[in-house]
Amino acid sequence: MSQAAATSAVSTDPSRRARLAEFWYYFSENRGAVIGLVFFIFLVLLAIFAPLIAPHDPTQQYRDAVLVPPVWQEGGRADFLLGTDAVGRDMLSRLVYGTQFSLFVGVIVTALSLVVGVVFGVIAGYFRGWVDTAIMRVMDIILAFPSLLLALVLVAILGPGLVNAMIAISLVYQPHFVRLARAAVMSEKTRDYVVAAKVAGAGHTRLMFKTILPNCMAPLIVQATLSFSSAILDAAALGFLGMGAQPPTPEWGTMLAEAREFIQSKWWVVTLPGVAILITVLAINLMGDGLRDALDPKLKRS
Amino acid sequence: MLKKTTFAAALLAATVLSGAASAKTFVYCSEGSPEGFDPGLYTAGTTFDAAAHTVYNRLLEFKKGTTETEPGLAESYTVSDDGLEYTFKLRPGVKYQTTEFFTPTRDFNADDVVFSFDRQLKADNPWNKYVTGASWEYAAGMGFPEVIKSVEKVDDLTVKITLTRKEAPFLANVAMPFASIVSKEYADKLQADGKMNQMNQMPLGTGPFAFVAYQQDAIIRYKANPDYWGGKQKIDDLVFAITPDASVRYQKLKAGECHLMPFPNAADVAAMKADTNLKVVEQEGLNVAYLAYNTTQAPFDKPEVRKALNQAINKQAIVDAVFQGAATPATNPIPPTMWSYNKAVEDDKYDPEASKKGLEAAGVKDLKMKVWAMPVSRPYMLNARRAAELIQSDFAKVGVTVEIVSYEWAEYLDKSKAKDRDGAVMLGWTGDNGDPDNFLDTLLGCDAVGGNNRAQWCNKEFDDLVTKAKETSDIAERTKLYEQAQVVFKKDAPWATIDHSLSIVPMRKGVEGFVQSPLGDFAFDGVDITE
Repeated sequence: MSQAAATSAVSTDPSRRARLAEFWYYFSENRGAVIGLVFFIFLVLLAIFAPLIAPHDPTQQYRDAVLVPPVWQEGGRADFLLGTDAVGRDMLSRLVYGTQFSLFVGVIVTALSLVVGVVFGVIAGYFRGWVDTAIMRVMDIILAFPSLLLALVLVAILGPGLVNAMIAISLVYQPHFVRLARAAVMSEKTRDYVVAAKVAGAGHTRLMFKTILPNCMAPLIVQATLSFSSAILDAAALGFLGMGAQPPTPEWGTMLAEAREFIQSKWWVVTLPGVAILITVLAINLMGDGLRDALDPKLKRS
Repeated sequence: MLKKTTFAAALLAATVLSGAASAKTFVYCSEGSPEGFDPGLYTAGTTFDAAAHTVYNRLLEFKKGTTETEPGLAESYTVSDDGLEYTFKLRPGVKYQTTEFFTPTRDFNADDVVFSFDRQLKADNPWNKYVTGASWEYAAGMGFPEVIKSVEKVDDLTVKITLTRKEAPFLANVAMPFASIVSKEYADKLQADGKMNQMNQMPLGTGPFAFVAYQQDAIIRYKANPDYWGGKQKIDDLVFAITPDASVRYQKLKAGECHLMPFPNAADVAAMKADTNLKVVEQEGLNVAYLAYNTTQAPFDKPEVRKALNQAINKQAIVDAVFQGAATPATNPIPPTMWSYNKAVEDDKYDPEASKKGLEAAGVKDLKMKVWAMPVSRPYMLNARRAAELIQSDFAKVGVTVEIVSYEWAEYLDKSKAKDRDGAVMLGWTGDNGDPDNFLDTLLGCDAVGGNNRAQWCNKEFDDLVTKAKETSDIAERTKLYEQAQVVFKKDAPWATIDHSLSIVPMRKGVEGFVQSPLGDFAFDGVDITE
């Protein structure tokens, strides 16, 4: 009996399909979330098929076509749809390739901070005592620093670059996941099914990761989507400050930083990467909102 | 604070409006707040514009628009045969400014000169450490404490300066802003009143404009000095409206809120030239930007390799992309406006094919190198990362892979000095005093290896030439030596010389008599408005 209760939480029983349908029902209630999702899928496709879509090599410098305006403006050229930047690189191609870097940053940072954060969070919440204290105090220390400042310090130590920026940002995001996981585990731990599993002789590892964790996933998933967009934003910020992706990488924040001086004269060099960051982050945030509506039982209308 | 600023702005608007009717007010949208008002203590051009060129004079001055010196507070000078004793004859009857905070009782004399130098050179002078945290950085940087043995008063209008060694650039150094002459009478009074700090807040000198008031980060006000030895200025009031953002400065200039601004965005210059209310003057700045190879590391220790790489760089593309054309490709390590510039030297022509062959002939294959790019914008290189990206792509065409690296500015300057530095470093230099020694010996001499000599290049022939030139006082002979030195430099190619940037000054149409300084100073004596 207890065994059945424990497994039903994770198993592939037929009710799973019903729950997915229920999830979609609540998710699709939120129009913004659906638009966000559609746009996000579009971005993913753009990133995957970038080499096929982009008309030019993103690092190729066309020295005879420096600062060409977009095609619809006077002086625009058909082979550079969104114009070129200060050294004659095609803006459209750079923006398309930029999707790869931004999504890559989002995925890696979120995965890294989610996995590590959950492990520490579950351990802290499950064992309590001095383990809990030690982990949580370290997290408190990390939280005490403004996140971007801490990321900057870390990158300054590790050296500028996209990989180091990702490591720094995921470390900064760690505490959020640890806290969420710990809180969820603490409330789940006293439930009957956990006690039952314990009585049936389940070990610590099994209890933590097979019995309790799957029931704590909802807030973590929501936090993960929100972190995804923040990670893109932070990577862009680090790039803007010269600590993220290094030239000639077509990363949006770096592109934005390099084009600052043109804000009054050549709008497209500055505006387009900014718009790309804006709509990407907006789309993911909308999607995250929808996920929270769908996954959080407290917000469900009965 | 907000209230104060709005008040200042209203005041400014009021003075501008009423200016046409009664007094002539000239408004300069300056780029930043001065660090203080005692020019000896600081090194920033912003401070010198606000303090040194308005309130003060020097023994010698730079002739407007040139780097040659002319008599200032010293009417004439003589140099002893051994080149160690300089005797300055001071100008008689020079009055100090009379202001609300101080009324001078005597004219300028030798005591002021002795005091002005001694406070910077002697640790036991009561004024040596009067501002906490500030030191006489510029004097130290120019080697004054070692070079100057003594500054003595001979009589009221004669001063003798004795040097420890021959130093031909000394006269140019005396004309620099940090060597401004302050009033000893004013200093004595402040000391007696226990208000020594006021020297750095309310300056008083012999210059064309007298200080009136300063509001931090907002406005500095001056009025023309009626007793100025060079005659009263045509404008009555001078206002510095402090505006750090280049785009905002441009907007203010367009709206007629100021008459002149420094440092426009390169991207805005075309629009400024098209505006009929504005005029834009350009001048080649006294600067150079370069890429210094590390000549101690293989394969960059071979001149053939450095020459070949130089041929791969398309300098014109850098000038176009980074400066929008407001610069000239550089051939020599000194700018064309400087005396002794060798026009006969030929630049390494942009030729990727020849470069490829040159590298092959030198046995260099699949070369990977680092290029260091400055993290900040400098007058000689507005955007080093962009220039580095252009070089990266140029080098890729000849089969050289480039990794661009950058550090925080102070760290960048420090790390790039290391003798075993990996990679070629991009950097530049703006002249301090218009003397070629300030470029050639400072940046390329053997003494500077491990310091300012980022190429770590010690060439006996070159070093002998510049050392000899430094110890010679005859200009014609020095010119010859420096010209030879430039030939040696080009032959051995420790740098890829990149550009000399133009300094661009936009102003209202009605501004007359403003002369651009090759040293990058903004001085407003002799300026008039006809609007």
